[in-house]
Amino acid sequence: MQGLVEILVLPLLGAATITAFKGLMPKKLPGIWASLLVAVSFLLSILADRRVATLSGSHHVITGVLWNWVTGFGAAIHFRLYLDPLSAVWLLIITGVGALIHIYSIGYMHDDAGQPRFFAYLNFFIFSMLLLVLAGNLIVLLIGWALVGLASYLLIGFWYERPTAVAAAKKAFVMNTLGDVGILLGLALLYIHYHGVGYPHLFQAFSQAKPGSAFFEWSAFLLYVGAMAKSAQFPLHMWLADAMEGPTPVSALIHAATMVTAGVYLMTRLYPLLRLAPITHELIGAIGAFTAIFAASVAFFQQDIKKVLAYSTLSQLGYMFLGIGVSAYTASVFHFMTHAFFKACLFLAAGSVIHGLSGEQDLGQMGGLARKMPWTMASFLAATLAISGIPPFSGYFSKEAILGQAYNSGHYFLWGIGVFTAGMTAFYMFRLFFLTFLGKPRNQKLHDHAHEAPLVMTIPVVILGVLAVVGGAFGGWLNGWLKPAFALYPGAAHAALESGPLFGTIVTVALAVVAFIVAFLLYVRRDTAPKAGTEQAPGHWMLHAWGMDLVWMAIVVNPLKLVGQAMGAVERTILAGVTGLAAGVQSWATDLAPIQTGYVRRYALSIMVGGVALLAYYLIRIGFIS
Amino acid sequence: MFLVWLMAVPLLGAIAALAAPDRAAKGIAAITSVLTLLGYAGLLFISRASINWAWIPEWGIRFHLVADGLSLFLLGLSSVLLVVAVFASHKDAGRTYYFWLLLLGFSTAGLFAAVDLFVFYVFWEVLLIPVFFLLTGWSGERGKKAAMKWLIMNLVGSFFMLVGVVALAVIHSQNGGGLTFEISQLSHMSMSSPVASWLFFAFLVAFAIKAPLWPLHGWMPETYRESEPPVTAIISGVLSKAGIYGILRVMIPIFMPQFREYQMWLLIVATIGLLYGAFMALRQTDMKMVTAYGSLSHMAMMALGIFSLTQAGILGTTFYMVAHGLLVGGLFLVLGLLERRTGTRAMADMAGLNRSAPRLAAYFLFFVLGTLGLPGLPGFAGEYMIIQGLFVSHVVFAVIAGFVLIVAAWYMLRVFQAVMQGPARTSGIKDLFSGQVAWLVPLAGLVILLGVWPAGITSHAVPSLYHAMNLALGKGGVR
Repeated sequence: MQGLVEILVLPLLGAATITAFKGLMPKKLPGIWASLLVAVSFLLSILADRRVATLSGSHHVITGVLWNWVTGFGAAIHFRLYLDPLSAVWLLIITGVGALIHIYSIGYMHDDAGQPRFFAYLNFFIFSMLLLVLAGNLIVLLIGWALVGLASYLLIGFWYERPTAVAAAKKAFVMNTLGDVGILLGLALLYIHYHGVGYPHLFQAFSQAKPGSAFFEWSAFLLYVGAMAKSAQFPLHMWLADAMEGPTPVSALIHAATMVTAGVYLMTRLYPLLRLAPITHELIGAIGAFTAIFAASVAFFQQDIKKVLAYSTLSQLGYMFLGIGVSAYTASVFHFMTHAFFKACLFLAAGSVIHGLSGEQDLGQMGGLARKMPWTMASFLAATLAISGIPPFSGYFSKEAILGQAYNSGHYFLWGIGVFTAGMTAFYMFRLFFLTFLGKPRNQKLHDHAHEAPLVMTIPVVILGVLAVVGGAFGGWLNGWLKPAFALYPGAAHAALESGPLFGTIVTVALAVVAFIVAFLLYVRRDTAPKAGTEQAPGHWMLHAWGMDLVWMAIVVNPLKLVGQAMGAVERTILAGVTGLAAGVQSWATDLAPIQTGYVRRYALSIMVGGVALLAYYLIRIGFIS
Repeated sequence: MFLVWLMAVPLLGAIAALAAPDRAAKGIAAITSVLTLLGYAGLLFISRASINWAWIPEWGIRFHLVADGLSLFLLGLSSVLLVVAVFASHKDAGRTYYFWLLLLGFSTAGLFAAVDLFVFYVFWEVLLIPVFFLLTGWSGERGKKAAMKWLIMNLVGSFFMLVGVVALAVIHSQNGGGLTFEISQLSHMSMSSPVASWLFFAFLVAFAIKAPLWPLHGWMPETYRESEPPVTAIISGVLSKAGIYGILRVMIPIFMPQFREYQMWLLIVATIGLLYGAFMALRQTDMKMVTAYGSLSHMAMMALGIFSLTQAGILGTTFYMVAHGLLVGGLFLVLGLLERRTGTRAMADMAGLNRSAPRLAAYFLFFVLGTLGLPGLPGFAGEYMIIQGLFVSHVVFAVIAGFVLIVAAWYMLRVFQAVMQGPARTSGIKDLFSGQVAWLVPLAGLVILLGVWPAGITSHAVPSLYHAMNLALGKGGVR
């Protein structure tokens, strides 16, 4: 399999060895060992990607079967791995950004008693995520898909004595199970139709199909439900904000850079299917745009530094799905890549801030940290400029590519939402930056103790900050790199990067600049309190995410509880019936057997008598004894 | 000869345990169960072991046992769980306890291997006895009540089955085929449709009570609650499969037209059971009861796989029986370890035990995840095949089954989190001893193996299943 197995197995080995031998390891070893394995995995990924690139012909695919997963009811389902330029991009980001976040975690988690467990989970996550992107068919993908969900569950609930963390972990798991079931049903549908779930097999079949049948719409929609849950698209988004209960490196790695983009991966992977399902395809774009603006509005007034970043992640994922909806596949992958850089940087920098303030996450307690934490501040600023779409920072290029293609393909409404959301993004991100790093310290005591993070944390943050600045330069390379992947099957005619109309770019950037100025005036000049604007109508609803939790309770959870109550009543009746039967037999047996010979024999006898009567009845009934 | 070994060793071991002093009983049982398992391992290298001795020639009864693809892995399941249950039992449970436990192992082995309907019935009855005594002897007054319900409901079922068994043989002989109880012979005969329908339901009731399937599960809650954890593990892990296995082994070859005729009703009732078990599990406050009702839901899932009358569904059930047996057996044993440490099963009385017992928590979580059907563990593979089958037969049931997977995640995690997570309120408990890890590790390893390589079972099970289904094909067939 030319190195794929090694890439996969190394992080799993790390998880296993740390779990087994954590008692014997010196305090710092688990972190170093885990980081080392992921770093080696990163190097191997580079080598594997080079091999993909040098493959002759148009195929650029390394694939192979490890063993048969299941056989017996049709075509065998293999345990198959698959590496093409598309999965190669994810491979690099997962192991590359993953290694940086592992190293950062050595510093961040250094005084946590659960440190070995943390690194074991983190390594297990990397393994699962690699399995997800290296899968060669939908079953293996689903296994990876569910295992990243498990890793996310374990890490959200890492501090398992906090009730909020435990509740958040369960919510994330259950909502993601909904997504898993979507994929399960979707792949079952495809298997029945095409007798296989391998990518080449399916895509070959899709190439010859005509678009528009209900079958394609349903299978695409069911798979999209999986992507929705994992990538937190509206209305399956609530778990992601709660997931911030996990340690901050986890938020950076799993809930920003990699796992939540699995939906983007799946949808770009399935582009030949999206061609055949135009309604679902449009829906993906529409829900993506809605998620983008919805989440941006929620991010506006959040008080918690991580909550702002969580909702901004949601919003950026919305952009990626908007890109998929308008067939801008390369642009979506590009945005995934730049987002991995700047959002991981933002989260890690936020982690440094939280670390420097002994665990404080409330913006109301921050302010004026720029001088105390210059490196963190600089990286955070670079990433903020990137996410706000200010040229020439990385986010500008990838967001522009998505919006340009939305415009070019005639999705003017979605384009409008995207442009407006870009302005909102600039506002809430600069609000966050100003409230954290500029202005007067709002909690002098915390501020006095604040300090720059140690080098082991700062270096990864700065590296990511640099990538957030220059990441846009990878666009041209990415375009060429992904070309063979999108040329293999029909459906990706507009996959390559396109530039939009000039006025669109001007409007977007102008909005961002205006938003920046407004945020500056409000939060630096006038030094408005973080809480301002959240007392009355729109602000209040925006702060509370438009009450979606309540809506879910009302339309899903509470009706299910009622059903449960009704079933409880039925169960009481059934159990009472059995108790009655037992009591009946008991008294009947007492009548029949006056000699007290121990109850077992009595019951056996009574049942024997009853049984013989029953037997006789039956035999008469079916005509044996006439 | 390995088949003889598989039955003779537990039987001899049971007698030896009874004869031995109390303190030696566990050792004898442990050696016996491990020897049985080794014999089973031998069976894996033989393509199709069988015993075929004349027993009561004048009635055409033959002591005919076969380890084919259908029975082979259930024999394995019962051997593995026997070992685990013995190791997980109290050292001072006494010699009679181990006697009955080994006798149970003997009777399940006989039941799963029998292909003569009369022999099948005999073992079916025999296994009631050890379970009855295991329930009465070790669980106090409430255990006696539970045992009574178990016995009464199962005897009712057995008599339905006896009627069916006798009737089938008699009809076969009246048709001029001679008196025989051989399932493969009985499956070739023709019956008038009303008679066949009556017999179909007679067998179905018997098997549904044993599984149990809704609404015939009345014995289940008390029995599961009051039995010793190793006994619960065997009842839920192995005996429950006897019901499903009976449907596969006996009913599919003989009653295919009836399955076709009543398919919609069967699917509906099983689906009700599927939802019912899941929602009841969500309401329980006793951690053992959550697992019990969850298991009720999973039994309905297996029934649905068969009732889909598709290759995928039936194969899925065959696989899921083994997977579920290992998972739910392991889960009940872990719950038993937990209960022994805390002295309670009420979820409200426990919290945050992860801190004091991280290893126990890890195994608990492992079996919880397996039971809720995490992809990568074997429960998922079974459920996938079953849902695939339901998709082919009636989409709506596939969707409901998918929905139940979500509820399953909910109720299983609810138990785990209530017990292991949150702020610790009580004093800590002891973590697992290395002796307990010693049997948990191989069990977990086996589970993982089946999860990543379900083909290890399915590829073996397929020929036998096709044989059974081909018999069925002439009578309506499966898709």
